[in-house]
Amino acid sequence: MSRPAVALVDANAFYVSCERLFDPRLEGRPVVVLSNNDGCVVARSAEAKQLGVPMGEPWFKLQATADRHGLIARSSNYELYGDLSVRLMEVIGRYSAWQEVYSIDESFIGLNGGAAAGRAIRDGARRLLGIPVSVGIATSKTLAKLANKHAKAHPAFEGVCDLAEAPPGWLDNYLATHSVVDLWGVAGRTTRRLAGYGIHSMKDLRDADDRQIRRWFSVVLARTVRELRGEHCIPLEGPRATRDQLIYSRSFSTPITDADRMAQVMAVYAQNAAQRLRRHGLVAKTMTAWCSTSWYGAAQDHPSVAVSLPTHTDDPIELVRAATAALPPRLTPDTRYVRAGIVVTDLVPRGSQPYLEPFVPLSERRRLGDTMQAVEDRFGPGTLGLGRAGLRTPPEWAMRRQMLTPHYTTRWEHLPVARAA
Amino acid sequence: MLARVAASGVDELWLLGTVPAGYPSPAQDYGAERIDLTRQLIKDPSATFLFRVVGDSMEGAGIYDGDVLLIDRSIEPSSSAVVLASIDGEYTVKRLHRGDGFVELRPENPRYPVIRVDGLSELVIFGVVTYCIHHV
Ligand SMILES: [Mg+2]
Repeated sequence: MSRPAVALVDANAFYVSCERLFDPRLEGRPVVVLSNNDGCVVARSAEAKQLGVPMGEPWFKLQATADRHGLIARSSNYELYGDLSVRLMEVIGRYSAWQEVYSIDESFIGLNGGAAAGRAIRDGARRLLGIPVSVGIATSKTLAKLANKHAKAHPAFEGVCDLAEAPPGWLDNYLATHSVVDLWGVAGRTTRRLAGYGIHSMKDLRDADDRQIRRWFSVVLARTVRELRGEHCIPLEGPRATRDQLIYSRSFSTPITDADRMAQVMAVYAQNAAQRLRRHGLVAKTMTAWCSTSWYGAAQDHPSVAVSLPTHTDDPIELVRAATAALPPRLTPDTRYVRAGIVVTDLVPRGSQPYLEPFVPLSERRRLGDTMQAVEDRFGPGTLGLGRAGLRTPPEWAMRRQMLTPHYTTRWEHLPVARAA
Repeated sequence: MLARVAASGVDELWLLGTVPAGYPSPAQDYGAERIDLTRQLIKDPSATFLFRVVGDSMEGAGIYDGDVLLIDRSIEPSSSAVVLASIDGEYTVKRLHRGDGFVELRPENPRYPVIRVDGLSELVIFGVVTYCIHHV
């Protein structure tokens, strides 16, 4: 049985597209979405890119551009993006028997039918969700990622690029003229070390001896070499982090078929995510959990759920509770799931979240209580108290609120308006 | 789908694409499962969105100020369907009418004007209204 091609389906400026879906005035105008901790750009519409707005730029530096060119900013609305992400993954899953969620707006799928099948996905996501996506199709994830990038860079592809349709010699030329630094999963540090071995372009790396690369660098980079040759071999495993999301996913050695074991898996992943959040001094408000069946196999299923946590948290108890409550009940009985993952988003530095939430979960209170006790034991009574004084600066928060759109799809009180006029 | 369910202290926001249509529930054999409105009214949960009505231009269609509309993007808008269309940067609910060489968006209240365009392609239609939830 030959494997189908691999496609990377990636939403274009996903957060901006989510904002546009409920606010048609944003269509055709330059729009950015800002991180909610420090007001930096985390998503840009094509129009904003054309204005030269860089990723990660602080909003205050863009005031002049905003005034001159009508650049519009929105605070990140992770509750909305989380819901639309789950919808998007479900819709993409309809087109494939095999799906691996890679981030909040990207998934790899097995795909037969080449560019025509890619266009069907692009049209489906547009029609059913109003979300524009790009599709890169190749024989390995690394090459699918390159194809996707190429589709995005060249409007003539209309969002779908299948490397199988490239003219002879095209890929060779492409790889020869692009640096390894642009490869998926290759860091700047690795690039400099590779240069020491005379490996500069993607083609240099593809034609290197993968056993030597494995010895000099890592198993991971050796896999990239094989992927560049078109061999599909990179499993999506382990933790990943981007500017605004933290991802943990793994394949299982034995398939999971029942909710109890999936709950155990979710507990482990959630603790891992909590650990990483703490290491980075971050707390999260939204979580997406998913699992999926294998590439082969008869019964296919890729359930995915999003959860809004009661407060921003890095508490393992809270995260484990969320992950184990949400996903396991969604499994289809007698189905063999081979991988699962969680993504936490809406990340803010610990301590910067609004202090006076309506209520704080019990475990959080308990921990806070322990900490307060420890501080008082050491420094005497009255050295530490509960309250909002001095914990954060209100103006910053006020600014963030001003640009935050409603949670249109997850709160009854926030429904978008249909004018009858 | 859109109800907020309190599950062990966690607000589940949406749960989609997880129960394949037609998967037999053990309880179904005995006709014991309580009616699930979401399942009855929403054919494609991923493609269905809820909107709140503001205004009285669709009262003739039984759509009143404050009602909640279920809007399904997976349905092709037929002539005479009630649709949500983007007009001047706002989503507006109207009855679609496809004539010979023209398309109209018609209110169902004589106090409001009809909007006429040359073809469907000139309209941005969000989706088709399938149900209206009205508090009596
Ligand atoms: Mg994207």
